[in-house]
Amino acid sequence: MKKMAVTLVSLLAATTLAACGSTSEPKETSSATKAPTAAATTAPAKADAKPVKLRIYAQYADEDTKTPYDYAVAELKKEMPNVELELDIQAQDDGQKLKTYAATGNLPDIFQAGLDIIDTFKKSNNILMLDEYVTKFGFKDKMQPSAMNTLVTDDGHTYAFPYAGNEVALLYYNKDLFQQNGVKVPTTYDEMMAAVKAFNAKGITPLSIFAKEKWPCVALYDMFVTRAEPGGINKLDKGTAKAEDAAYKTAAEKIIELVKAGMLPKGATNLNYDQAAALYHEGKAAMFINGQWEIEAATKALGDKAGYMYIPAADAAAYDKGKTAFSGSGGPGGYAVSANTKDKELAAKVASFISLKYAEYKFTNRSNPIVATKVDKPVVKQFPPMMEQLSKDIPKITSTTAFSWGLSNPKFKAALEDASQNLMTGNYTADQFVKDLNKAAVTAK
Amino acid sequence: MRKFLGNKAAILLFTLPALLLYTVIVFYPILQTFYRSTFEWDGLSEGTFIFLDNYIRLFQDSIFYTSLYNGLVFAAILAFVQIGIGTVLAFAVAEGFRGSKILRISYFIPVVLSITVVCQLWLAMYNSEYGLINKVFEALGISYRQDWLTDSKTAIFAIAFVNAWQYMGYQFALLLAAVKSVPEQYLEAARIDGASKFKAHLKITIPMLAETYKFCLVLAITGGLNAFANMFIMTGGGPGNSTYTLTYLMYRSAFRVGEFGYGSAAAAFLVIECLIVTLAINKLIARERITF
Repeated sequence: MKKMAVTLVSLLAATTLAACGSTSEPKETSSATKAPTAAATTAPAKADAKPVKLRIYAQYADEDTKTPYDYAVAELKKEMPNVELELDIQAQDDGQKLKTYAATGNLPDIFQAGLDIIDTFKKSNNILMLDEYVTKFGFKDKMQPSAMNTLVTDDGHTYAFPYAGNEVALLYYNKDLFQQNGVKVPTTYDEMMAAVKAFNAKGITPLSIFAKEKWPCVALYDMFVTRAEPGGINKLDKGTAKAEDAAYKTAAEKIIELVKAGMLPKGATNLNYDQAAALYHEGKAAMFINGQWEIEAATKALGDKAGYMYIPAADAAAYDKGKTAFSGSGGPGGYAVSANTKDKELAAKVASFISLKYAEYKFTNRSNPIVATKVDKPVVKQFPPMMEQLSKDIPKITSTTAFSWGLSNPKFKAALEDASQNLMTGNYTADQFVKDLNKAAVTAK
Repeated sequence: MRKFLGNKAAILLFTLPALLLYTVIVFYPILQTFYRSTFEWDGLSEGTFIFLDNYIRLFQDSIFYTSLYNGLVFAAILAFVQIGIGTVLAFAVAEGFRGSKILRISYFIPVVLSITVVCQLWLAMYNSEYGLINKVFEALGISYRQDWLTDSKTAIFAIAFVNAWQYMGYQFALLLAAVKSVPEQYLEAARIDGASKFKAHLKITIPMLAETYKFCLVLAITGGLNAFANMFIMTGGGPGNSTYTLTYLMYRSAFRVGEFGYGSAAAAFLVIECLIVTLAINKLIARERITF
């Protein structure tokens, strides 16, 4: 019996360890790396070039990611008919699958990488530096000047061809609900509190948020911070500000006050996007928080009633001043190339091409003018009015911060995400918030 | 036969494959984890040897204590609900009454359901707005509506109960088999001596189930300390990190923060913790084997 129990425990332990050691699900790559021979390295753009198969790890989950990818691949077929892409669909797993691929020496030739993947892979020599190709393929010339920050990382090098521009988080609201209930669109914290109370009295949820995901919590916190400190969470990440600084602590206090007053729906930290968005789209919530990519869905559901507001601030002066500080931003990321791919130049060329076409489709067909590269093709699908407003706002933006995935210190990022989610529960103090952030900041490497 | 079992070569021949397999898939990874826990390592590059620094950091980490506490709460709830209710149900069903066969099967059904299905089911029931549980309180006129999963104090209890509920059927099946195997004549003798049914079970059946209870307890407690999937699906460890367990801390360290060495230290601690608990249970419930 004893033996059995010990065996059992060991087995349990082993399963636990399996989660840590290696979630390896190595995939056969033999077909993927039938790479071109040395002869094929000279810009194989013609139809007579040798057929090449490349493995690509990319987002392919919903309309917003499938259609641009399909378009880019179709365009690639025209430009480089000899290249065949084998798609490996990106998992929503904080990069675990990709890191496992890297650990087992099985990295796809091309993969979508964010800042954390770039940083990790840089250290372990898994990602190809693209500096020479950025100029060689003319990619740099095609970049939007305002999005150059998405091309180059802190060390001055390029590791991925970006397609997404500087995206922003917005506070959406339902114009009709505000009007019908005689509530003023808040410009100050006091007015925000008044709005929360007024909507609660009418049985309307003041602000819907899918706080089961942690980044919207970070975004909301960041929005409040930017009113007093335009650098927002980015400054904390870089270590140029401290969590106990007034701007950061006040933002936490204000959110706690508002949450306690009933700003968020019940059980907010257990709502997923569908549930939270439904509240806003069905007119049961007056406000909603999401990135600018929500514009299309919000317009579809609410039409002219949907709009976004500037974030309330401490007083009228701060409100006017803070209008041009936006939460969110972009960071280096996009299609990257494995350092171990057989034909580096070809893979880089394909990655660059896919990025350009991906951005092109998002601009022309997905009502999204926020892309990293210039697009010279006419828009097929008109921008919704909110997007027009945003297009006018973008040139006026004086500062942006970061989405939580744009933070460079993973330890601080995890702590900020957890602490921000705690802010949404109402039973958390600003002091505790500061303490939790400081812990991650102090020991951060 | 005896001659055959005395043959050392034959013993070796037949146990070697199993032993080899066990070493490779169980023992080696455990050793690796202990080894890796002494490194600062991101899972990809070389890593630097830092000896016990990860453990020192672990003991200074407030999330570690939250995780430890939650693991113990989880284990306690599992042990209490699964073994407690499991025992009552096992005795009831063992008695045999009309419909007991159907009950026997239905208690086991949650065990075979996917954990994802069960979690989704309870997510709906726990919902603070329209969930069944709050609605029941409302219907009874009791004002006890709760934010079951979003209140950082109650969340771990709510989640643990889901796991306890799901695998109670398994413990029930083990206990039922054991209850049924207690020889009838002991109980008959007790009854002749004038013992009530309750007393007979309390004094005879339950002590005879000691070995089974030991096994069930090890299952429940190590299962609780190891818990992961329920919080992963139901709360994602949240709100904040209030529903973390050591396994979750390990996951966060390795995959969200990219500190595999630190995650390995948490895993190593978990292995030690489980071993200690198992040995303690074996020591405390040690008794002479009853032979029928």
